[in-house]
Amino acid sequence: MKAILSLIKKDYRIFFHDRPAMSMTFIVPAVLIFLFGSIFGGSSSTPTGINIAFINNSKSKIANKLESVLDTTQAFKLIKEYTNDEGKVVKFDTNSVKDYVRKGNASAALVIPEDAFTDTSTGLRLKFYYDPKNEIEMQTIQGLMQQTIMSQMPNIFMASMQHREETMLGKNKGMKFNRKIASVVSEYYGIDTSKILNWTKFSFSDSLVADSASNKNNFFKDLLDLEKVQLVGKNINNPNATRSVGGWAVMFLLFTITAASTSLFDENKSGVVVRILSAPVSRVQILWGKYLYNISLGCIQLSVLFLTGYIFFNIDIFSNLLNLIIIIISSAAACTAFGMLLAAFCKTSAQANGLGTFLILTMSAIGGAWFPTFILPQFIQVLSKGTIVYWSVEGFLQVLWRNANTVEILPYAGVLLGITAVVNLISILQFKKGNIF
Amino acid sequence: MIEIKNITKKFHSVTALDNVSLEIKDQEFFGLLGPNGAGKSTLMNLLIGYLNADEGEINIDNERVKKDNLSVRTKIGMVPQTIALYDDLSAFENLEIFGSFYGIKKNLLRAVIAENLNKVQLFDRRKDKVKNFSGGMKRRLNIAASLLHDPQILLCDEPTVGVDPQSRNAIFDYLIQLNEEGKTIVYTTHYMEEAERLCSRIAIIDFGKIIAEGTLEKLIEKLPYEQTILINKNHSTEDKIELFKSFGSLLNEQEKYELKPFDHLKLSDFFKSMEENGISYQSIDLHKPTLEALFLQLTGRRLRD
Repeated sequence: MKAILSLIKKDYRIFFHDRPAMSMTFIVPAVLIFLFGSIFGGSSSTPTGINIAFINNSKSKIANKLESVLDTTQAFKLIKEYTNDEGKVVKFDTNSVKDYVRKGNASAALVIPEDAFTDTSTGLRLKFYYDPKNEIEMQTIQGLMQQTIMSQMPNIFMASMQHREETMLGKNKGMKFNRKIASVVSEYYGIDTSKILNWTKFSFSDSLVADSASNKNNFFKDLLDLEKVQLVGKNINNPNATRSVGGWAVMFLLFTITAASTSLFDENKSGVVVRILSAPVSRVQILWGKYLYNISLGCIQLSVLFLTGYIFFNIDIFSNLLNLIIIIISSAAACTAFGMLLAAFCKTSAQANGLGTFLILTMSAIGGAWFPTFILPQFIQVLSKGTIVYWSVEGFLQVLWRNANTVEILPYAGVLLGITAVVNLISILQFKKGNIF
Repeated sequence: MIEIKNITKKFHSVTALDNVSLEIKDQEFFGLLGPNGAGKSTLMNLLIGYLNADEGEINIDNERVKKDNLSVRTKIGMVPQTIALYDDLSAFENLEIFGSFYGIKKNLLRAVIAENLNKVQLFDRRKDKVKNFSGGMKRRLNIAASLLHDPQILLCDEPTVGVDPQSRNAIFDYLIQLNEEGKTIVYTTHYMEEAERLCSRIAIIDFGKIIAEGTLEKLIEKLPYEQTILINKNHSTEDKIELFKSFGSLLNEQEKYELKPFDHLKLSDFFKSMEENGISYQSIDLHKPTLEALFLQLTGRRLRD
């Protein structure tokens, strides 16, 4: 027994001295549990602050009330203005709002048309323009949108009936009509008349958000005519595969490049670096060699992965090939910079691989490689924009999903190359300061 | 010629080399002998320009050796202490890679590789992955990789560590042959037997300082005695340690006592005393002193301590 205890103690001692193993055992799972918990459980399971472009062309009170309800709903953030080509901030019209969605600035737009609700209407007519670049995101947005609108429909319906009654019969006749209806209902259903009259006392000034869930009813669903128009991705061969290929490809690219970059440690340990440096080769040349090798390896790996997507899932990689190549090169450069940063700051291969795995999994989780970023908490959505994965995934979506042209993908390539430049600068300074070889 | 002038190299607060000066002539087989951590590898790393010295300078044929002078490196071949090869590649592929850094044309390089593989008796195994080689084969390939550009100087940093005696002898023979063909060889080791066997001139280094330098004979002459007395351990000698110590400093080895006699000792007095104490002459042997004895004399420590 003593021997077994000694053996257990020995293993714990080794384990607590192995930082990468400790990180993989505790820190990585803890961070991922936090992320998944934030998404699928935790204090709130409903996403908040989803950007929706919005126009209200209707002058009806119902439309205005719906706008104010959507304005105060935490799930959505209504965007009503945009900056036009002249740099001026202007309100959306139908064409500009569609362009806004097409360009990927928002995943959906809700338009309340001029004739959304008239005195002769029996329901509310709305237009919903959307870009299903991410299926989960779009299903969630549509679900939340319908839930929010439908929850208001009973009140809207009752209010509209009152409004129509007043318009057609006048206020006194209308009240008389209500009392008669109430007494008939009371007679046959045994409900107190005053209670029934209270139900009819709806006004557009009342809070319409009160009892949303309880009033959901199929009957009311007929009152809403939500016309959905898909703006992007209608002709995509395999939407699911096209949407997900970029994220997975970037994650595996990061793993590959990290391993390739940290091979510097193994080469140094084995004495190969000393041997190479005893030849007419400088340290800078070694770093350049490693850097260009990693970029080319990254480009080859991404190309192979996209080609695999083409062969097995019919993903269209050829109709926008030039722009795909631009994003591939930008992503490979950024991932290589990440790998070299690890090599510059870590002291051993094990440390670099442990930290690399942690960062790659975290970046993939928050950067949109595994699931859409909109379901993450707001502060993590902000953080995600600082990751290589986010900009790579968005870049690939621009090319493959949105068929964006070179000008449209430049911001994505630009950010990736910007990250590359900054990270490389930091790495170079650290390589000069440190003593990797 | 290699000129090492007043070299000092520090790593933080540790002085690895302290004002070291040496001259190594062309075609010399020069040994750098010292215990682990004495500064041998640091000096090797300075000789290839892997490190820059804090003070002093190194010149090879009047050309300064430093980190940013790449041209001087074509004169040097480096055999690192570790087996600096790619395990998953074949012997031939490894040599192709390392040869390519010297700008040798492809066809010529292939011929040079074949020639060097033949010399280290690995040509038949050229397509095998290095990871399948024995320790001795890897060491031989390690040397071959340093000779592809036909350097005039070969720096060997403990090139026989972990090698079986047979392979070690093969490596020694090859290095001697290279030296006879005209190459200057600088050989570091902490095995005095290796230095004694191979090197025409030896520098002994300890704590970053050269504490003795010269040919083997000149170094041994520095000892205050001409012979070491070896006494076999047996029933008649085991309890006589104090007696032995009265004649000199005693090393208690596994099977023998090694006695370094005091300055004034007359061997006749020693043998007479042994006889009086019942120790037979057959238990005693006289040997020429080794570098180990010199190191002990100079530092008070043994080379392998």
